[in-house]
Amino acid sequence: MAAMPLDGVRVLDFTWVVAGPIATRILADHGAEVIKVERKEPPQLGNRKLGLQCDLNRGKLSVALNMQHPRGVELARRLAAKSDVVIDNFSARVMRSWGMDYESLAAVKPDIICISMSGLGHTGPRSSYVSYGPTLQALTGYTMLMAEPDGTPAGYGYSYADTCGGYTGALAALIALWNRHRTGRGQFVDLAQFEAVTSVIGPALLDIAVNGRTQPAPGYNSQEGPAAPHGVYKCRPLDGDDDRWVAIAVRTGPEWRRFVTAIGSPSWASDPQFRTLYLRMHNSADLDANVSRWTAEHSAEDAMAILQRAGIAAGVVENGIDLCARDPQLKERGFWPAVATARGTTTNVTGIPFKLSGGSGKVRSIAPEVGENFDYVMGELLGLGRAERDELVAAGAVWP
Amino acid sequence: MTELAALAGLRVLDLTGHRAQFCARLLADMGADVIKVEPPAGDDARRIGPFLDDLPHLDRSLFFWFYNLNKRSLTLDLNHSRGADILLQLARSADVVIESFAPGILDRLGLGWDTLHRENPALVLCSIAPFGQTGPWRDFIADDTVLTALGGMLYINGFPNHAPVRPLGLQAYHSSAYYGAIAVMLALLARDRTAEGQWIDLSMQEATAAAVEHVAGAFFERGEAEPRRGTLHWSRFFRVGKCRDGYIMHCTLGDWTSLIEWVKSDGKAGDLDSPDYEQVMYRYLMAEHLFDVLDDWVKDYPRDELLERAQLLRQPYATVRPPEALFDDDQLAARGYFVEVEHPELGRKFRYPGAPYLFNGTPWRVSRRPPLIGEHTGEILRDELSMAPQALAALFAEGVI
Repeated sequence: MAAMPLDGVRVLDFTWVVAGPIATRILADHGAEVIKVERKEPPQLGNRKLGLQCDLNRGKLSVALNMQHPRGVELARRLAAKSDVVIDNFSARVMRSWGMDYESLAAVKPDIICISMSGLGHTGPRSSYVSYGPTLQALTGYTMLMAEPDGTPAGYGYSYADTCGGYTGALAALIALWNRHRTGRGQFVDLAQFEAVTSVIGPALLDIAVNGRTQPAPGYNSQEGPAAPHGVYKCRPLDGDDDRWVAIAVRTGPEWRRFVTAIGSPSWASDPQFRTLYLRMHNSADLDANVSRWTAEHSAEDAMAILQRAGIAAGVVENGIDLCARDPQLKERGFWPAVATARGTTTNVTGIPFKLSGGSGKVRSIAPEVGENFDYVMGELLGLGRAERDELVAAGAVWP
Repeated sequence: MTELAALAGLRVLDLTGHRAQFCARLLADMGADVIKVEPPAGDDARRIGPFLDDLPHLDRSLFFWFYNLNKRSLTLDLNHSRGADILLQLARSADVVIESFAPGILDRLGLGWDTLHRENPALVLCSIAPFGQTGPWRDFIADDTVLTALGGMLYINGFPNHAPVRPLGLQAYHSSAYYGAIAVMLALLARDRTAEGQWIDLSMQEATAAAVEHVAGAFFERGEAEPRRGTLHWSRFFRVGKCRDGYIMHCTLGDWTSLIEWVKSDGKAGDLDSPDYEQVMYRYLMAEHLFDVLDDWVKDYPRDELLERAQLLRQPYATVRPPEALFDDDQLAARGYFVEVEHPELGRKFRYPGAPYLFNGTPWRVSRRPPLIGEHTGEILRDELSMAPQALAALFAEGVI
C-alpha cells in the first residue's frame, strides 16, 4: 500500500457528536492512527455501522476507558504520552480535572500537540456556555439570515458549524504537525467553534465593520457580484415528485445573450426592462416569473443540461437521492466509496473531496464498536499482559 | 525575539480567482509568504462588492480585502509568454501553487503539472475546480449558489412546499478552501518524507457535499432523501422559537429534569411533565408537539433573560441574533477576536474578523493589510528574480506586469 501523508502519526481522540469526529476522520483517512477514547455506553447517537455515525467514525480505533476511575485516567495519560496529537471538544475544566490539559501532558511528552475544540473557547466570560452546532449558528447570525422574504427564520436544516468546525480542527492539527517537523515543538490550540464559524461569514462582516451596514437575509441575491437571473426556479415534476428545482446564475452581457438563445429566444427577453444587467436586477421579479415559466416546462436535469451546454452556470437542486445515487459526476469520480461491513456486505460513506497524485486518502474501515480495539491498545500499545488487563477490567478502570 | 510563525518559510503562489482565494488566505494567516498573482487588469474579486463607502474601485473592494489579507500582490499577464515564463521562474523556488482556472487552462498557458513538476519536483500544485479535473461535468461552470445546489447544501434548507433557502456567505467556496488548505498541508507533510510534490485535484462540488452533515448518511442508511423541515434541525433536538422580543434556539439535549421544572414553575409544561419525555428517544419522536409547547412557554420572555437563565441551568439554549451582534459580543471581545488593521494609504483603521483558532506557540496574526493592485510587483521581481531596472521597465511598458 502506498505511503500516506500521516503514516506514523497517532491521535488520541476524546471528541464526540459531530465537529470533533469530522476533524479526526480527515486525519484517519490520510494515514493517522486515531484512537477514540469512549465510555462503555456513550450517548446513543445512532447505528455505528451505517449512515452518519459510520461516516463520522470510519477508519478509527476505539477503546473504552472509565475516566471516573483514577486508573482509567492513568491509562489515558499513558496513551497520550505515546501520541502526537490529543484532541477533545470539552470545556476547559474537563481535561484539566483529569490532569490531561496541555501543561500536564507537555510535562511528560514535551512535543505533544493538544487541540481543544470547545464551543466558545477556553477563556472569556461565556467559556462555560453549553452549546451545539445549531446553537452556535444562532449566535453568529446564520440562523437569522436564513429566512423567508418576510424575515421568518427558515433554517438551518443541518449544522454547518459542526462540519466547518471540523475542518478548522483538522487544519490546525496539520499546521501544528508541520511546524513540529521543523522546530521540534508542540503546542496548544484553543479552537472555539463559535469563532471558527464566525470567520466564514466572510465579506459581510467587513461590510458591517467598515460601512456600518446591517446585513439583510441574502435570499437569492448573488453574494459575489451582480447577477440576474440568479436563484432557484421550479421545474417539471420527476416521477410524481414536484419538489424539483434548478439553480441558475447569469452575470455578464454575453452570458445573458447565450441564456436567451438557449431558452429559445422568447419574446419577453427582448423587453427593454431586461436590456442591461442593472435593469435585469432592478426588474428581477418580472424576470424570475418569466424564467420560471421556462423551467416549469423542463425537468431540472434537462434545464441544467441545456444551460450548461450554452456555457451558463446551472445545476439541479439535488436531494439526497440525486446526490448519492443519480449524480453522474460524483459517481464517475467515486465520491461515495464502498467499505466492507462485518457481515461481508458493503456500505457507502462520504468520500474525500480531493485526490492526491502521490496516493489519495482512503477510507480504511467502517466505524469500530465501542471498545473494539481493547487488545491492541492495552496489549500492543501499553504493553500490558493478560493478567494486568484482566485486573484492570475487574477493577472497573477499563471495559473489554 | 518573537516566535516564528507556524508556516514561516513556506512560499505560496496564489493564482486563484474569487472562488478559491480563501484557501491561500488560511495559509497566509499562519505565516506563509503568499504572493497573489493577478492579471494586470486586477483580480476579478476586486470588482466584487461591497466597496468601502460604496465607491467601486479596485482597491476598495471589501470582498477582495477579506480574502486577501496577509498576501502580497504581483500583477502578471500569464497569457503573455514572458508572463508565463516569469511565473515558471517563481515556481522554481516556491513550495505551493494554488490555482482555480477551468481544467486544462494551466496546460494551455504552458504551466501544467508536468511542466511545474519537471521544473520543481518538490512543488505542490493545488487545483481547485467546480467539478474537479475529470468526469463528464469537468467543463461545466458554477457559482456558489449552483455549487450549493449540486452539493446538496440547498435542498434541505427552508420549509416544505416553499423554495429551498440559501445560507449566508459563500459556503461552497469556504468549504472548498478549507479542504484545499488541508490537502496542501497533507501534501507538504508527505513531502517531508518523500521530497516529492503532488498534484491535488479538488472538486468544489464534492467539498460542498462533504460539508452537509446528514444527507448521505440518511440515504445510505435508509435510502431516503432528507426533506426540508423549516427550523427543525434534522436531529429533531433543535428548533427556533419566538420570544417577546426576538427568536431563540430551543435545545432538548440538556438536563431534561431541570428544564421541565423551570417550565412547570411558569405553569406552561402542559403534558411535558410526563415521565415519557425523560427518554431522549421520546423527545425525538414527539419533537413537533414538544417544541409547540415550549414555544408557548417562551413567547412572553425577553430573549436575553431566557438565555441567561437557561445557561445557568446548563441548558444549551442560544439567542438567534443578527451578525451585527458579534461586534458587541463580550465573549469575542474578551478573547480579542476582532483585530484592527491599518490601511495607511487611506489613513484609516478597520476591524477585521480574526483568528478561527488560537495557537499558543505560533499564533494566527495579521502581518499586512490586503495588497493594493500590483503593490509588490517590483520588489518581488527585483528581489526574487534579480531583475534589472531596465528589464522591469520593459515588462511594464509591454503590459506584462
